[in-house]
Amino acid sequence: MNLTTIEIVNKTLKKRRQKERVFRAAGLVSVLTGLAALVFLLHTIVGNGWGAFTQSYIQLPLKLDAQVLRIDNPLDEEEWDYANYAGVIKASLRERFPEVTSRKQKRILYRLVSPGASFQVKQLLDDRSLLGSEVTLWLPADDDVDSLIKGYINRELPEKERRVKDFALTLIDDLVSSGQLERKFNVIFFSAGDSSEPEQAGIYGSMLGSFFTLVVTLILSFPIGVAAAIYLEEFAPKNRFIDLIEININNLAAVPSIVFGLLGLAIFLNVFGIPRSIPIVAGIVLAIMTLPTVIISSRAALGAVPPSIREAALGLGASKMQTIFDHVFPLAMPGMLTGSIIGMARALGETAPLLMIGMVAFVVDIPGSFTDPATVLPVQIFLWSDSPERAFVERTSGAIIILLLFLVIMNGLAVWLRNKFEQRW
Amino acid sequence: MSMNESNHSLSSNASEYSTTTGQIEVENPKMSMRNVDVSYGDKQAIFNVNLDIAKNEVISMIGPSGCGKSTFLRCLNRMNDTIESCKVSGDLLLEGQDIYDPKLDVVPLRARVGMVFQKPNPFPKSIYDNVAYGPHIHGLANTKFELDEIVEKSLKKAGLWDEVKDRLDQPGTGLSGGQQQRLCIARTIAVSPEVILMDEPCSALDPIATARIEELIDELSANYTIAIVTHSMQQAARVSHRTAYFHLGYLVEIGSTDDIFTNPSHKLTEAYITGRFG
Ligand SMILES: Nc1ncnc2c1ncn2[C@@H]1O[C@H](COP(=O)(O)OP(=O)(O)O)[C@@H](O)[C@H]1O
Ligand SMILES: [Mg+2]
Repeated sequence: MNLTTIEIVNKTLKKRRQKERVFRAAGLVSVLTGLAALVFLLHTIVGNGWGAFTQSYIQLPLKLDAQVLRIDNPLDEEEWDYANYAGVIKASLRERFPEVTSRKQKRILYRLVSPGASFQVKQLLDDRSLLGSEVTLWLPADDDVDSLIKGYINRELPEKERRVKDFALTLIDDLVSSGQLERKFNVIFFSAGDSSEPEQAGIYGSMLGSFFTLVVTLILSFPIGVAAAIYLEEFAPKNRFIDLIEININNLAAVPSIVFGLLGLAIFLNVFGIPRSIPIVAGIVLAIMTLPTVIISSRAALGAVPPSIREAALGLGASKMQTIFDHVFPLAMPGMLTGSIIGMARALGETAPLLMIGMVAFVVDIPGSFTDPATVLPVQIFLWSDSPERAFVERTSGAIIILLLFLVIMNGLAVWLRNKFEQRW
Repeated sequence: MSMNESNHSLSSNASEYSTTTGQIEVENPKMSMRNVDVSYGDKQAIFNVNLDIAKNEVISMIGPSGCGKSTFLRCLNRMNDTIESCKVSGDLLLEGQDIYDPKLDVVPLRARVGMVFQKPNPFPKSIYDNVAYGPHIHGLANTKFELDEIVEKSLKKAGLWDEVKDRLDQPGTGLSGGQQQRLCIARTIAVSPEVILMDEPCSALDPIATARIEELIDELSANYTIAIVTHSMQQAARVSHRTAYFHLGYLVEIGSTDDIFTNPSHKLTEAYITGRFG
């Protein structure tokens, strides 16, 4: 049997095509699996967290009466601190529902409004001239009321198994029908710190904590990382010692982040005695953690600048410094920034090392500086995820959405930078 | 490329070409190289090369690829310093001054001996900045006006002015290959070097752009000393006054370009220019 070359080729052709099809199908299946996992994750998080961006508010006319507030002498600051702000709300509720008389029913009535709402009244009264006037406010409803409005609580359940009792239901329905109970944009979620009351808890405090922390991380890791990269890539002599440093840097990039937390705990808290849970320490720890990433990506960016550019500058008589800082460094800058932004994104999502240095504290106050006690977004998520209340579950997912949003923005920025300044040689 | 194996008369016996044929010395040399050895680590790339370069001449260096032309050229402004493994020995003088003197600073040396590379390598900056960079770092212009003048003069000398005068602020990398190479030449002459080294400056260019550069080399030779490495014998014949033929790291023959191409003395030179190997 004498086959020509083309006949032999044709015989194997079918098998080759077959292999190609199988490979393509396998690739497609893996991609679809990944996509499905992503869609499922996003669906769960968004489905759970979307509600966190709205909150039920109850509209109440408030009589800011000195007597109800128990303020005898408006000039005495101490009286203002301990004034009976809750009393104003209670009075308004009683007026709205005059038929509620029994002690037990009154308690249910008062619980419709968030216990933290009195704080809003206090804030309002920072303008002292309002004393004695009447204002109408939208006050945050209690988280159980909110859950009911959002449909998380099943009305059909028998009363015993329901968090919202029958009497509360009638009150709530009454308020809804008179337009005094509405879902509105959840301002508190974006403007408050942590709180034990879910309807008073927000991510603003932890967002600022993350911001201060990341600023410290960036200020430390970018210049140090870039300087180290320039030295290693351009100036370092080729010897064993430098090789050793390089190996160590590469290994550091793979060290589990919690180890950096232990380092921070041992050095900054125990040796230097810096207080716990402040952004400076968190920033330093995360800077040490991101440093290897920044160094490695910066070196890659420097190495990617073609030698012809260096030769051009050197050939003109530029010194090594001039060559590096006039040409190589600016050309490597976008790559360095990209690497740093990705490093920052990783630092933003980091929890474990921060737990080690006490960033898990319950912080109500909004941090105003690098040295104020604070928590960070991922740790806040971690803290809330522990709470059983439906409202906290919702806020956990809401905070995750915000965190993901920041991460997407940062990574998008990195990609954009890379594409915009990418040079083709 | 290795020599043609079947041609036994050309078989490599170093004694046949280890001494240079032709007149090495010139009167009043601009550069003078004696006993130059260059090695990359253990591998020697240049063996005992002796050569003078006259003032305002165009000297071309030809030879099979890998014979060490670029290596030798890069010794002349110490560009080899950037290669860690590269060791140069011998006497290399620029107007009597030893350029490998450890006390000598390479910055002024490279300002005096400029270089144009094989592949056009403009900075990814504006055309203006490309030309202005050299004068700027060497402090050749005190005012913006002076700098403008240098840029214009250099671009004119490089024959690029008319093509780019309306878009000096556009990136140099946006020009065509031939224009980029002329921009690189303008950039080099902007620092007023005495010697210009060119390493196969036309190898990446089309014939028309090549002709343009060759014309330019001819014009520049009135004011500059030019050493050019080329793989094109026609180019060497067209632009240079003298030609040096390198072979496996040795300078085999040096002579006037006319002699080398019409009446070579060494059989290796003859073999090369008649195209028997290359
Ligand atoms: N950077 C380098 N490191 C090691 N060897 C090199 C290097 N550059 C050139 N060489 C070697 O030196 C010899 C001469 O090279 P080169 O000067 O580039 O030749 P040409 O320019 O004549 O083609 C070649 O054998 C080459 O392999
Ligand atoms: Mg070469």
